[in-house]
Amino acid sequence: MTGPGAGAAAAVRAPFTGRARREMLFCVLGLPLSLPLPVVSFAVTIWLAQVAGPPWTAAGNPSWLALLAAAAVVVLTAVLMVATGLTRALGAATRQAAGKLLGEQVAAPPPPRTRLGDGPGWRAMAYLMLKFPAGLAQWYVVGVFWVAGIVNLTYPFWWLSFRNHSPGVRLSPVPVITPFDWSGAGGHFQVTTFPGTFAAFGAGAAMLLAAPWVTRGVVAADRWLIRGLLGPGRTAQRLHDLEQTRALAVDDAAARLRRLERDLHDGAQIRLATLAMNLGMARKKLGDQGGVPDLAAARELVGAAHQNAKDALVELRELARGIHPPVLDNGLADALASLAATSAIPAELAVSVPVRPTPAIETIAYFCAAELLANAAKHSEANTIKIFITERSGLLALQITDDGLGGADPARGSGLSGLAQRVAVVDGRLDIASPPGGPTRIIVELPLRAGHR
Amino acid sequence: MRIVIAEDAALFRAGLVRLLEDEGHQVCAEVGDGEALLAAVASQRPDVVVADIRMPPTFTDEGLRAALELRLTHPGTAVLVLSQYIETRYAAQLLHGSPAGVGYLLKDRVADVAEFTDAVSRVAAGGTALDREVVSQLLAASRHAGDLDPLTPRERDVLALMAEGRSNAGVAAALVLTLGTVEKHVASIFGKLGLPASETDNRRVLAVLRYLGS
Repeated sequence: MTGPGAGAAAAVRAPFTGRARREMLFCVLGLPLSLPLPVVSFAVTIWLAQVAGPPWTAAGNPSWLALLAAAAVVVLTAVLMVATGLTRALGAATRQAAGKLLGEQVAAPPPPRTRLGDGPGWRAMAYLMLKFPAGLAQWYVVGVFWVAGIVNLTYPFWWLSFRNHSPGVRLSPVPVITPFDWSGAGGHFQVTTFPGTFAAFGAGAAMLLAAPWVTRGVVAADRWLIRGLLGPGRTAQRLHDLEQTRALAVDDAAARLRRLERDLHDGAQIRLATLAMNLGMARKKLGDQGGVPDLAAARELVGAAHQNAKDALVELRELARGIHPPVLDNGLADALASLAATSAIPAELAVSVPVRPTPAIETIAYFCAAELLANAAKHSEANTIKIFITERSGLLALQITDDGLGGADPARGSGLSGLAQRVAVVDGRLDIASPPGGPTRIIVELPLRAGHR
Repeated sequence: MRIVIAEDAALFRAGLVRLLEDEGHQVCAEVGDGEALLAAVASQRPDVVVADIRMPPTFTDEGLRAALELRLTHPGTAVLVLSQYIETRYAAQLLHGSPAGVGYLLKDRVADVAEFTDAVSRVAAGGTALDREVVSQLLAASRHAGDLDPLTPRERDVLALMAEGRSNAGVAAALVLTLGTVEKHVASIFGKLGLPASETDNRRVLAVLRYLGS
């Protein structure tokens, strides 16, 4: 169901959706959390101005000295709030509310190490200070768009029961609150007659229709503040990411060594053991000296041993190439060309990499391409594959497109998620676009040198 | 002899079957994992089992665990375990209790057909066949290494071959000595190490291994 009809229906439904309700609730609940600091500073200033007397009060207004003292109290309050962990607690409450009501999942910052030098605590303080104006804006939106909007809708219903005065009696007009005119009795939008109430009704309906979008706007600003100030912080987040990718890299290296041992054990080692056994048997058939007891069997066993030796060579070569393809030393272009040439599905290759990446990056790019080609051959049923590799502003972009069935999903196969992990170790990215029915386009982005972001 | 073979690599298993059949033995079952080995032994009642240690499904020590179970459930069946690596801990587990009818060899040893078939026969006859890698690791790790100093180099060779499970005749053949010379070396070794002289080969292997392992 698409088109203007559906759009209009969605617009009418928007004020009644759960999302609108939750966002409005968030707006209502948010402001009180930011109040401690403004309330303290306001109260102190008023007290100094009105109650304390000279030298704090100068003709009913706070003196400069009083303002300085109030500023000191505000700073002290802020310090106390950070040191006692109050800002962190309020930040945590906000994060929780944002997670529950807005679906904005922000990770908690790491625990504090010192009381006063607590970066996340001070960032939470900054959030609370910014939250005060943001929260006022949110209350304004709730009060004017939602509450006043609903009130405006009611005008036609009560007008006749309360304003049925006898002719000649003149009553003062009833003000209508709108976003453009909310000063109440002194405003310009006022209703004096029953038909006029329908104008108020229309204004209320328009305000309610606009309400979810305006709410979304003020909430979006708050989300931005929450993400920036209540999360773990860029350094902590980076540290967390690095710890995670390091763990993955270590696991990956261990798994690769295990696989290598397994391949050797089950492959070349077994072939060489069988070769030795066949030669041992052949030697016995040939006898120690003089005549040959069983020439035919000896010939056959030597033949088998010969075959074992050749098979072992093939396996060792494959294994060695799997560890590091020698052609990669000539550069990515040559290596990818030989990869494309041996691809099961015809592959087209275009390389434009003027700056040569470091060997580690070349190796990762090569094995990504090899794995993606193998994946395509296994699952895509494609007729052609296109491989593009380009360098743009310090990033190496490997793009592999096939015209196959699509539906590649890192959640299902471990191959793609493994690739994503390996790429993440060097701060690269794996981008998969593979709708069911195809085509599949996978982009691997890598820095030209590992460790340079 | 009736033999059951447990080995998951088909190529190597086929070679083993051929080698043992060429020697006139009867391979009554060939299997590829530990469970199947236990079943085959229960139904075939072989004289000897030749088993790979690393087999499906976990590719760790299935063969060893099956061998240990067979030692308990079928004490009359000799077990020769093969592996591409030597682990002294595995050897200790296999030899725990008695070294009678047990063998533990590197797969490489199959290349020396005569030596391998000799090991199979020895194990089947209730003897021991320990890989020289195991013995040299035992010798190197033995806390009695210092006590071995008085032994002559030739006596050390004889001690190692005894630990592998060879009889005097076997030692004599391996070192190209006469039986009489070997007997003299053996008596001298037992005297120097303070071990009681033993009648059977089995008891002798046990004494030597206990000495090295204690």
